Amino acid sequence: MMLKDIEARMQAKFADSPLKRDETGVTGARWSVELPISAIREAAMEFNGAGFFLESITALDFEDTFELVYHYNCFEPASRVTVRVLCGHDQSPASVCDIFRGAVWLEREVHDFFGIKFAGNPDMRPLLLPEDADYHPLKKTFGKVGAYHKREVIYG
Amino acid sequence: MDELVRNEAGDRIYSLNLGPQHPSTHGVLRILLDLDGEYIVKADPVIGYGHRGHEKMGENRQYKQFLPNTSRIDYLSGLLYNHGFVLAVEKLAGIKVPERAKFIRVIAAELNRISSHLLWFGTYLLDIGGITPFLYAFDDREHILDILDTITGSRLTYSYCRFGGVCRDIDWKFIEMSRAFLKRMEARWADYEALVTKNVIFIHRTRDVGVIDRELARQYGVTGPNLRACGVPFDVRRSEPYEVYDRLDFEIPTGTKGDALDRYNVRFREMQQSCRIIDQALDQLPEGEVLAPKVPQKLSPPKGEVYSAFESARGLSAYYMVSDGSSGPYRCHIRVPSFGNLNVLNDVLPGTLVADAISILGSIDVVIPEIDR
Amino acid sequence: MSEGLLGFEGFRLILGMVIALSFASVNALFLVWLERKVSGHIQLRPGPMEVGPHGVLQTAADALKLIGKELILPLKADKKLFFLAPVLVFTPVLVGFLVLPFSPGLIIHDMNLGVLLVFAFSTITVLAILTGGWASNNKYALLGAVRSVAQNVAYEIPLLLAVMSIVLMVHSLSFSHIVVLQKNVWFVFLQPLACLIYLIAATAETNRAPFDIPEAESELVAGFHTEYSGMGFGLYFLAEYTNMFIVCAVATSLFFGGWNGLFGISLGIPGVFWFLFKTYFLIFVIMWVRWTFPRVRFDQLMNFSWKVMIPLSLVNLVITAIVVKII
Repeated sequence: MMLKDIEARMQAKFADSPLKRDETGVTGARWSVELPISAIREAAMEFNGAGFFLESITALDFEDTFELVYHYNCFEPASRVTVRVLCGHDQSPASVCDIFRGAVWLEREVHDFFGIKFAGNPDMRPLLLPEDADYHPLKKTFGKVGAYHKREVIYG
Repeated sequence: MDELVRNEAGDRIYSLNLGPQHPSTHGVLRILLDLDGEYIVKADPVIGYGHRGHEKMGENRQYKQFLPNTSRIDYLSGLLYNHGFVLAVEKLAGIKVPERAKFIRVIAAELNRISSHLLWFGTYLLDIGGITPFLYAFDDREHILDILDTITGSRLTYSYCRFGGVCRDIDWKFIEMSRAFLKRMEARWADYEALVTKNVIFIHRTRDVGVIDRELARQYGVTGPNLRACGVPFDVRRSEPYEVYDRLDFEIPTGTKGDALDRYNVRFREMQQSCRIIDQALDQLPEGEVLAPKVPQKLSPPKGEVYSAFESARGLSAYYMVSDGSSGPYRCHIRVPSFGNLNVLNDVLPGTLVADAISILGSIDVVIPEIDR
Repeated sequence: MSEGLLGFEGFRLILGMVIALSFASVNALFLVWLERKVSGHIQLRPGPMEVGPHGVLQTAADALKLIGKELILPLKADKKLFFLAPVLVFTPVLVGFLVLPFSPGLIIHDMNLGVLLVFAFSTITVLAILTGGWASNNKYALLGAVRSVAQNVAYEIPLLLAVMSIVLMVHSLSFSHIVVLQKNVWFVFLQPLACLIYLIAATAETNRAPFDIPEAESELVAGFHTEYSGMGFGLYFLAEYTNMFIVCAVATSLFFGGWNGLFGISLGIPGVFWFLFKTYFLIFVIMWVRWTFPRVRFDQLMNFSWKVMIPLSLVNLVITAIVVKII
């Protein structure tokens, strides 16, 4: 099975990052893995090689860091996997748009909303915001905000 | 024509700004086209005209307050999004839903799916110049809107689902109307086949137009009927069954080539399958409560995250929510299928004719405000 | 009365043109109403119902509204050509009425080159469309105009070839002569292929769906008349419907016996009614087609003309020539 394959390969490749399995199904993913920021492209290549598609890229803004969340999924059998990357507020993660062509827009959207610049993405124009937008509305410092936590408040 | 520029080869390029006000850009899409004669050299879709900041709104509201927003994300399949959001919150907060409510949700959702597909059917034919099927489809869609009106109280932006069930039980009138609708559609499918599916001009306009193959679909994250048209039987209702879909018998129509004709056929057969689902669900409908008792007015789910996928009329949609234990989500992300489906145009459009561009855009069935969120 | 300043023939010509002009206007109003009614009933709805009984006065009201509207000149448009084009598109169409044989004696000017005149003048329409599309300085309009020229050039040929096979049969270019010869047998029975080719090409010539690609509203917004408002648009509209009448009237005269009844049986109905009935029936068929089929694509349209219609009409012409020679 493809999922087993990729599990083994991921564990071999990123020995420091254990897979977190989810038996309850609440997270919607079979397992999730937290990778260092330098491993984004390597992981994407693994998933690309295994025939996965990039379902979504999104980010969370915490007081201490951004967290990038990549959801990969596979057509048959459907097996969603979450890849998390902690990305400091001043760091710029590597783009995966030459691995998954659709990522150009996904990364543009994340850049729109959070101001995270993806290194290597050739097109960082605002996608959903106006062309001259210089604000990033989903940052917790923009507009009305309910709460602004440190990451450990939620994930312990 | 002072805007003419030259490309690398020295040919003059005719740039055409298609939209945002254009009869067939389905919402407010703008595509910057570079034309060589009538052939498209480069296409650059510009979106965001309908950005309303639903994700930000989600973060600033309680879960319950965000409920009416959901059906405005994709206003053509509002109930599906409404349903999806409720599913996600129920998962997050661990709320159990009564059996009857599950069936009712499935029936209502499938009715909404048919109405969305019917609207697509009509507007797609309108895009390629057939005006009559458009009015036929709207006639049928009107019946669905009436049926849903009786239980939800609205015609387009439904807010029918509640955490733990639905807000109103269905009655004999609803069941009668639904049965009558299913019966009516039996005859209508034959009409549509004769008028459209077997029409020579229609077939010539769609065959081998805008081919999205499996690899391209994977690269761009294309899902839904557009993906199934290239032969991948990927449907969230089957792969991660929610509600009672695993207890119902339905097929997942697939195509072979992934051209506009395949996409048309897949959606067309999907409407028939949805009718089958509704028919079975009406047969199996159990008695009982429609709303779980003791769901607090102000939900405060435990800390954690939820990613809940569901099949909207356009493909895999999902709500990704992170709870910090308070009464609203810390982060509310919505994965919309049209995003990937439109994104793929960057690759599909170059090399086609302007007329085909319209046909392709129609055949992938995008709702632009859904992408803009 | 008959020996005025211009002489009888000149007076008759002027009177005829005035009548033709008013007929064209009333005809267009009626056809627009008919189109809306036909489309309505095909689409399971009643169509216009409010103004007058069954909405017959709806188009008159619409026309009044159009006359009252401002003529908007786009900023970068070529003013002279922009306003010339709608006039240019309507005038040649009107000339076609000059030779139409409504009934024996009811012809404004019975020329022996009538058939030639109609087609010669109808070709000018395409120039007018090109002028309008070009002068608008709008990209959609220009695309529409360019499409229109290509389409008209491609479909003029099979159209004329189909007509030629009739002309070869009767050795005459006079409408009344052609109609008289169909007293007993309509030419549609002798030349079914030519008739079919003529009808298809005529639909394309008049830019009617499924060949309405020059104005393809879902692709080019409104094609060559995107920038026209008020009566500028109104004249294009008028020309389109008058043109439709002309091509159907010509088809009636050439293939469906003109003022003659079927197989010489006229049922005592005057010839002019036979003529109008047949013409309007053909118009109805063209409308019916429009509201049933989707639009063909530009390259398919051209392929259809160059690869199917023109060879077929050539073959038909050659066969006709041979048969005529033998007989």
